[in-house]
Amino acid sequence: MDYDVLVIGSGIGGMESALKLGDMGYKVLVVERDPSVGGKMILLSKVFPTLDCASCISTPKMAATVHHPNVTVLTASEVQEIVSDGGGGFHATVERRPRFVDESLCTGCRQCEQACTVAVPDQFNGELVSRRAAYIAFPQAVPQKALIERAGTSPCTFTCPAGIKAHGYVSLIRSGEYEKAFALVAETTPLVGSLGRACYAPCEGECTRGELEGTLPIRRLKRFIADAHYSVTEPAAPVHAPLNGGRHIAIVGSGPAGLTAAWHLAHAGHRVKIFEAAPVAGGALRHAIPSYRLPAEIVERDIANVTALGVEIVTGVRVTDLEELRREGYDAVLIATGTPVAMRLGVPGEELEQVSSALAFLRDVKLGHAPRLDGKAVVVVGGGNVAIDAARSARRLGARAVRMACLETREQMPAYDWEVQEALAEGVELHDGWGIGGFTSEWDEVCSVELKRCTSVFDADGRFSPSYEESLTDTLECDVAIVAVGMRPDTEAFPVLAPEGARTLKADAETLQTSREWVFAAGDAVTDPRTIAEAVGHGARAAHMIDRFLRGLVLEGFEEPIPVVDKREVLHRQHSHSRRDPLAGALRAASDPTDFAEIEPPLTEAEARTAAGRCLDCGVCSECHECLAACPADAIDLGMRAQTLAIDVGSVIVSTGYALFPADAKPQYGYGRYKNVITGAQMERLLAPTRPYNTVLRPGDGRVPERIAYVMCTGSRDQTVGNPLCSKFCCMYSIKQNQLIMGALPLAEVTVHYIDVRAVGKGYDEFFEQAKAMGASFVKGRVASITELDGGNLLLRYEDIDGGGHIAEAEYDMVVLAVGVLPNRDAARLFKVEQLRLDAHDYVDEVDPDANPARTSIPGVFVAGAASGPRDIPESILHAGAAVAQAAAHVDRLRVLA
Amino acid sequence: MSERRIGVYVCQCGGNISDYVDVEQVVGAVANDPGVVVARTAMFTCSDATQQEIEADIREQQLDGLVVASCSPKLHTFTFREAARRAGLNPYEYTQVNIREQCSWTHTDDRTGATRKAMQLVRAGIARTRLTEPLEPTAVQTTPSALVIGGGVAGMRAAIGLADLGLGVFLVEREARLCGHTGELGELFPNAGTGSGLVARLLEQIRERPQIAVFTSAEVTAKSGTYGNYRAVIRAGEESIHAEIGQIIVATGFDSYEPAAGEYGYGIQGVLTLPEFRRMLDSREDLIVGGRKPESIAYVYCVGSRCEEHPYCSRFCCSAAVHASLLASDRVAGVRQYHLYRDMRTYGRNELMLSESRERGSLYLKFADGDPPEVTHDGQRLSVTVRDQLTGGDELTIPADLVVLVTGMVPQANDRLVKTLKLPVGGDGFFNEIHPKLRPVETVVDGVLIAGACQGPKTVAESVTSGLAAVSQTAAVLKRGVAELDPQIATVHASACSGCGACVEACPFGAISMIARDGGEVAQIDRAGCKGCGACAPVCGEDAIDLLGYTDGQVRAMIDALIQIPPTHPHLP
Repeated sequence: MDYDVLVIGSGIGGMESALKLGDMGYKVLVVERDPSVGGKMILLSKVFPTLDCASCISTPKMAATVHHPNVTVLTASEVQEIVSDGGGGFHATVERRPRFVDESLCTGCRQCEQACTVAVPDQFNGELVSRRAAYIAFPQAVPQKALIERAGTSPCTFTCPAGIKAHGYVSLIRSGEYEKAFALVAETTPLVGSLGRACYAPCEGECTRGELEGTLPIRRLKRFIADAHYSVTEPAAPVHAPLNGGRHIAIVGSGPAGLTAAWHLAHAGHRVKIFEAAPVAGGALRHAIPSYRLPAEIVERDIANVTALGVEIVTGVRVTDLEELRREGYDAVLIATGTPVAMRLGVPGEELEQVSSALAFLRDVKLGHAPRLDGKAVVVVGGGNVAIDAARSARRLGARAVRMACLETREQMPAYDWEVQEALAEGVELHDGWGIGGFTSEWDEVCSVELKRCTSVFDADGRFSPSYEESLTDTLECDVAIVAVGMRPDTEAFPVLAPEGARTLKADAETLQTSREWVFAAGDAVTDPRTIAEAVGHGARAAHMIDRFLRGLVLEGFEEPIPVVDKREVLHRQHSHSRRDPLAGALRAASDPTDFAEIEPPLTEAEARTAAGRCLDCGVCSECHECLAACPADAIDLGMRAQTLAIDVGSVIVSTGYALFPADAKPQYGYGRYKNVITGAQMERLLAPTRPYNTVLRPGDGRVPERIAYVMCTGSRDQTVGNPLCSKFCCMYSIKQNQLIMGALPLAEVTVHYIDVRAVGKGYDEFFEQAKAMGASFVKGRVASITELDGGNLLLRYEDIDGGGHIAEAEYDMVVLAVGVLPNRDAARLFKVEQLRLDAHDYVDEVDPDANPARTSIPGVFVAGAASGPRDIPESILHAGAAVAQAAAHVDRLRVLA
Repeated sequence: MSERRIGVYVCQCGGNISDYVDVEQVVGAVANDPGVVVARTAMFTCSDATQQEIEADIREQQLDGLVVASCSPKLHTFTFREAARRAGLNPYEYTQVNIREQCSWTHTDDRTGATRKAMQLVRAGIARTRLTEPLEPTAVQTTPSALVIGGGVAGMRAAIGLADLGLGVFLVEREARLCGHTGELGELFPNAGTGSGLVARLLEQIRERPQIAVFTSAEVTAKSGTYGNYRAVIRAGEESIHAEIGQIIVATGFDSYEPAAGEYGYGIQGVLTLPEFRRMLDSREDLIVGGRKPESIAYVYCVGSRCEEHPYCSRFCCSAAVHASLLASDRVAGVRQYHLYRDMRTYGRNELMLSESRERGSLYLKFADGDPPEVTHDGQRLSVTVRDQLTGGDELTIPADLVVLVTGMVPQANDRLVKTLKLPVGGDGFFNEIHPKLRPVETVVDGVLIAGACQGPKTVAESVTSGLAAVSQTAAVLKRGVAELDPQIATVHASACSGCGACVEACPFGAISMIARDGGEVAQIDRAGCKGCGACAPVCGEDAIDLLGYTDGQVRAMIDALIQIPPTHPHLP
């Protein structure tokens, strides 16, 4: 038996149970779902009828509970299931949810909270104000330990193949922290500027705002932070840090994968040398993507980030002999050579001088070697991104006509639709659905491309297998033809890494290790052509694995994000998201392009801030890592994951409390739509010592309310919402609030619209009389509806029974709905095999309440407090006492049996 | 005396204090007092985080004294004693200063004055702390049995609960049998079952438990002893039994309100109290009034409740009357029933009975406070006249064959027991708990708990619940077998004692006796019996008695500190 008694829930009933059992000498485990013990009572202002400060009388109990030598408390934890052990006791499974903060290190200093860039509604303040994603539940929380709320990984971050914390940099931009945003991206890759321009931004496709008014411009925001950073910093001179235990690593290829790997390995303390076959470094960034999309200077700046760490790049060197590298002293090698080999059509005439590959054409353009095409007609073969880049580049070189011919129909083209649109806008002609029959020449010069109608591109299994209607043909005149029909890795360079006939180099998908344990391969060389972002992600993974390989560790542990947050949950969370329209999306095209100047304008700072402000904080925590930097105790651990504990106990006390009636389920009262209609629970917060506004204000406009109405029995004694029960304590808390309001706002008038005032405890009726004597008005009769007036005041329509029973209307500044209680249905689902019986109203059933109150349908399981029906604080304490007496007796019986 | 190292913490209480007391100024005023090495403010000193800070200070600064200026010592003395103990500081080196109830809450009209007073109080607390000495609690073995007074459902269930936890029980009932009010009842509400059936079950369980000694027609006539070890005298007829017990649960129940003759027509035939009506309903005989089945019944609510004599609400009677009306409609098909009420207080699940009674045809009429219905008999028929607020205040006269006065619960006359146990009686005549919110079964009298309706009106289930809560509280003290007693008790400086015996007279707990010493007599204090009340100290002409924790020296130092005029602070006028 690990514990004598498991107490579920640490509200007043749970704490009382644990303390009494602990005092008797039993070992108790308390499992609390919230990050603090205390339940609902700690959030109250004062208690009736003594007007004791709720904080003041709760905190000693909370502290006593966690400090009791016989009581163990797990907060932010949930019981997952309980099954009988067959001998009178129980096996329980408890999940400790990750706090993402090491409780043993956290000092409760709240630096993380101050640094956090995400604000969410504060559930511990009735959602009247915000709190941070990194937070301590409330000032009196026990334990005083921070936690970070993570609903999941935000869709943008989750979908990023590079592993960039997209939500993180967006939230940093929202906070005006551009340098920190740059640094956050640079935690993943040095290619901030390049990705900010040339990434195809799958993140934007997943942005939840996209389901509302339109996606955030996440890529352009990255460009904004890169521009901001590069405009204020000079490229740093290379630093050759001493090699403190680091090793020598050779990277072959200086594209996005190689550069990213080099960046991480250099940060890890290794000495890295990159071998590049081309005359300049940068791979596809520098050789394939035209400058109007990605200027060469930007790539150079990104590369300078890498060389600043001491990474050496040698160009014009084609490596083929891996053993030679080994002999030269490299401890590990990464092959990241991309896809430098252009695919061929295999049609007649392809060998003609005027027919070139797009790879060669674009490289020549980017390096400034390409001849002008003034007055010439150009045909580009292919329908992908590269074909588009080639066609638009040809236009910029002065071509008279640029025609694209591709197998696919416009809809099927692998190029993004916006790319096609931009190309068309720049005067490119599209001939879609055509295959190439061949190139014909006159006087050895290309003068036409023969087309044949393509009837389908893929076979029934989705494989590339075009079929043609040979009889349908066409001819495109041209002076120059550019073929962009794919590219592949240079497997010939490393035959040992590519088995006969393999299209790509072979490496383990998880570790990226090749058949030679000291050789790793990453990027397009392994995956075939994909996106820059994927290559970056691969490079980061390779670096992680190489570092572990060199340190003799198992090749594992590359960061796994927590599961992606459900977008429906995110949208559901937005009670009333304000409409925020996206920036007008500019078509990035020049009608008559003449040069390679960058087309897309940068975001202004104002645009960037506005755009970032539209973020819905899907995952709650943005992973901006500000808390990591701020925590003086080094207690933050975003890699923390849930733990499951198996526990044997003798008895169980269910003290899971109640749920408040959701006031918006009475739409005629306008809660959720009218800002000055609040619930009694929210009024508790407005009156509490740690109150959000520091005085009683109405939330709509911050005015001090002068006329306040209470609507009693909201959601209680009400068949229309399915709750026929009286909630027992709403009358009293309202009467208490009446008195506190009259104390806080001496000029305020308080009117209570009631059915019956149920002041049925010791001193309660006297307390009711006291409220009347202080000036609270009590009007018998139900409220039919509430209407919001201009300016935020509220018109109540009600029955005035004392005044003769007529229908009346009255205007108030603020309305408090005295919401009642509903069962907390969580308790029943905990019990597997044996079912915990609920009563007709879904509260935990007490099977023998007159003789054995607190006893449930399962022997050894007891219920304490409002989990079995509405109870106020003293009733919950007494009920806990009854549960404790019987749970203790149950444990004693088990001991005798043992 | 060597220089003390005292830590002073001034609480804001989240605004409860700092709204009216400038806590920073208070800290500034005392930070340089002799012996003070740490002085700071905190948002909630009682919060776990601040407690941990205090503990860290105690360890790191080697504090040997602690002062917390916050709320009433009633709330947090134990909190900070525990914090001190955790950090290795003797808990009695701690002083709580109350600047909330005594400053911020009292002087909301005078921020300057409240601040100045707080400074003086804190300074006095520091002065006391300079003279504290480490004290160790006295550990006493406790007696593993309890006395339960009252053999109603609360007392019976408590006795069973105690026995099930291995404790011996003396169950004492004044009447001839264990029964209480519940044993005479038929159907209960809101749960199924009868009162007599419930009591029969409890009696069966008591018989099965030999650890429960039952004394009927018996009374508790004397109580003595000290915490955890009491002796009670049970007088049963001619016999006196001396019971050794560790704790006492009082569950003496209630009396039903008896209307005066003529009150709402009480005395007229056909006018009954609710218990009388219940007896009628619970009997197997036909429901006959004046020789025939009643055609109409009127219920007048709040008789003897929410009135001048008994200002409290009796809680159970609305539900009990509605329940009775349901039973009546079961017994007499088609009976018309009129409920004349002020507020229908069918709280919680009892609301379902109210709905059911309305569905079955009961009519509800509401009369205003101070405008009660009149019950009259014109020689032929009973009738009730009421101004019904639900129909615009029209005066209605309702002919009734039966008028049921819905009477509430009143406290039992129990003067002897109150005297014997020194039970605290509230303004309403019921016994008072120590804290109505958080400690509902304990009383200010050590070792004496209350359960059931002797504390205030309760239903059956509520009484049984509180009986079991008293069991838990008892077991929390007795189950471990050892209790620790507060060492802040009186001590005699024997060399100064003249043996006059004045202190023996002054002690309300009989904890002082005279013993022979050096040919004379000197006073001696029973460590377990002394409650630290201090009554002996001022009567001693020789100043030979000191109250540990509040020695004459400490009290003088506090007075000196209090009357010191605080230095004029630049910000204070």
